[in-house]
Amino acid sequence: MPLSRFAQRIIYVALALWLVIASLPVIWTAVISLRDYVDAFANPVKWSAPVTFENYRALWIDREFYRNFFNTMVVTIGTVSISLCVGCLAAYALARYRGSLGFWLLLVALVFRALPHSTLLPSFFTLFDALGIRNTYFSLIFVLVAINQPFTIWMLRSFFMNIPAELDEAAMVDGCSRFQAFRRVIIPVMWPGIVTTGLFSFLLAYNDFLLSSALTNAEKMTMPAAIANSISAESEALLMQGVAGAVSITLPLIILVVIFQRQIVSGLTQGAVKG
Amino acid sequence: MARIELKDVSRIWSQSGKQTVGLKPMSLSIADGEFVVLLGPSGCGKTTTMRIVAGLESTSTGEVWIGERCVNSFEPKDRDVAMVFQSYGLYPNMTVFENIAFPLKIRGVASTEIDAAVKRAAAMVELGELMDRKPKALSGGQRQRVALARAIVRKPSVFLMDEPLSNLDAKLRVSMRSHIKHLHHTLKVTTLYVTHDQIEAMTLADRVVVMSKAEIQQVGTPDQIYNDPANTFVAGFVGSPAMNLIEGEFNDGRFTASDMTLSPFHLSHTGCAVLGVRPEDVRVSRREGSATLDANRVAATVFSCELTGDATLVVGNVGGQQIIAKADKSARFAIGETVSLLIEPDRCFLFDAATQRRIR
Ligand SMILES: Nc1ncnc2c1ncn2[C@@H]1O[C@H](COP(=O)(O)OP(=O)(O)O)[C@@H](O)[C@H]1O
Ligand SMILES: [Mg+2]
Repeated sequence: MPLSRFAQRIIYVALALWLVIASLPVIWTAVISLRDYVDAFANPVKWSAPVTFENYRALWIDREFYRNFFNTMVVTIGTVSISLCVGCLAAYALARYRGSLGFWLLLVALVFRALPHSTLLPSFFTLFDALGIRNTYFSLIFVLVAINQPFTIWMLRSFFMNIPAELDEAAMVDGCSRFQAFRRVIIPVMWPGIVTTGLFSFLLAYNDFLLSSALTNAEKMTMPAAIANSISAESEALLMQGVAGAVSITLPLIILVVIFQRQIVSGLTQGAVKG
Repeated sequence: MARIELKDVSRIWSQSGKQTVGLKPMSLSIADGEFVVLLGPSGCGKTTTMRIVAGLESTSTGEVWIGERCVNSFEPKDRDVAMVFQSYGLYPNMTVFENIAFPLKIRGVASTEIDAAVKRAAAMVELGELMDRKPKALSGGQRQRVALARAIVRKPSVFLMDEPLSNLDAKLRVSMRSHIKHLHHTLKVTTLYVTHDQIEAMTLADRVVVMSKAEIQQVGTPDQIYNDPANTFVAGFVGSPAMNLIEGEFNDGRFTASDMTLSPFHLSHTGCAVLGVRPEDVRVSRREGSATLDANRVAATVFSCELTGDATLVVGNVGGQQIIAKADKSARFAIGETVSLLIEPDRCFLFDAATQRRIR
């Protein structure tokens, strides 16, 4: 039933209000990251103050935050690509497979996903120490993929299930092998689903704090783990670097969402309508 | 071009100990260039049969031959078949042109050749101006024609069509039906066509294969299927309205049911029997007073009287069984009125009540 004009207006006003409330802390963080400590935390609040890039300079150049940025990129891109490759193959197979084994595999995957990450950590320590690969990109990506995979498989599977098997079959009769049908017909149709799932797995890897701070030392640490210390620091300068770091971490995410918003919306609604 | 040969092909699925029979062992041979229609109610194994020919489903037993090759171990892509699916199976991210071109492209045909072939195929199904559209922007009939074009573009040796018209509205179905018939006449490619619509089967087929309960019931020309049914299933399934099937006794060339006696039949059978008579072969007339009935006339109470436009369907009640008669379009009877039905034995079919088979 279409909403009345009046109801629509109320919804718009409520949404606008919610937007302001939700974005206020983020915007305020961005504003004070461009001030010195005294102006940033002045009491009463200062609405305007001199702009300075000192916090960013100190963070990125003195503290060599670009290293952490680089680490995050390596770990995130590694995690997303491996998760998607494995996830697509597994999810496609599970979406098309009719036997009962598939059900059990999915259930087991779900159980692993449900475990708190911290319960997995002790065993990873022992394993990685024994193999001598603690504090490497590989070990961090390995753990992130492992933790992420159940989710990507479940999500991708529901997208694959929305694609009628008739499409695979048409492709195979038209001259494709099973893999060609998958790559040339199914994957292009799946694209919004892959982007959406990729974004979620990107967020998991990008925002991970626990695993990175536990499994890596300073020079391999990702951004969230690296700035965590400064946020709770006593030092005024460090705290301001933490604020600048928070903004630095957020910006790429916003850009990413803006770039992919079309695919994300179509991916999410596709799942919502048919799933 | 090729003939198709199914030799004792069957399909059984077993899932967690439970067995589903999709197809009991069946043999069928389709001549080169023939148009064969699989006709049957939904769930009778028509699609399974077709998918086995396409290689999308494996066989539990038996062999599938296409042309001179046993294709059991062949993948779908190597069987040289083209298929039209019930919901078209068009690639949603490709344009009409790309959809039609896909079978050629995947086989590595040169792009100039593809262009020409796609144009030719599109022209054959009158798809001219739509080449740049995506399937989403097409009507059902247009999508169906794209699917057809994609099937014919490659000149396969076999066409497989699984209820290609069932998603179209009635009017479009009639025009697409003649399209398909014309295409087959032009291309003369061996075609296996699945439908549950008897009109489609009768109009399109060189031969009809009537299926029910995972088995073939009868194979024959549309004429044979209609005028010489092999059992009660075929008799009741083909024809609209359906053939009257009346249960009774058969003795000494005489069929008796409650309130009805018909004779003479020149058949040797004794015991329970089912009499089949088509509605158009039942003559209905008004009964004057309570005069005694002539031979083979049966008294009936009118249960309903339906006008279909070109005829009037009179449903009469005879001793607890309903008999439908197709009367002239101007005929009118009141519900509850007593009429007489003339059923001539030489227009009737007789079936064994136990086996449901035709008694000849
Ligand atoms: N993959 C499968 N696993 C189990 N049963 C199936 C499978 N495919 C089809 N069937 C069953 O086989 C029977 C025949 O199906 P189908 O050939 O599609 O019938 P039709 O096309 O005549 O409507 C149906 O009862 C269906 O449920
Ligand atoms: Mg079917």
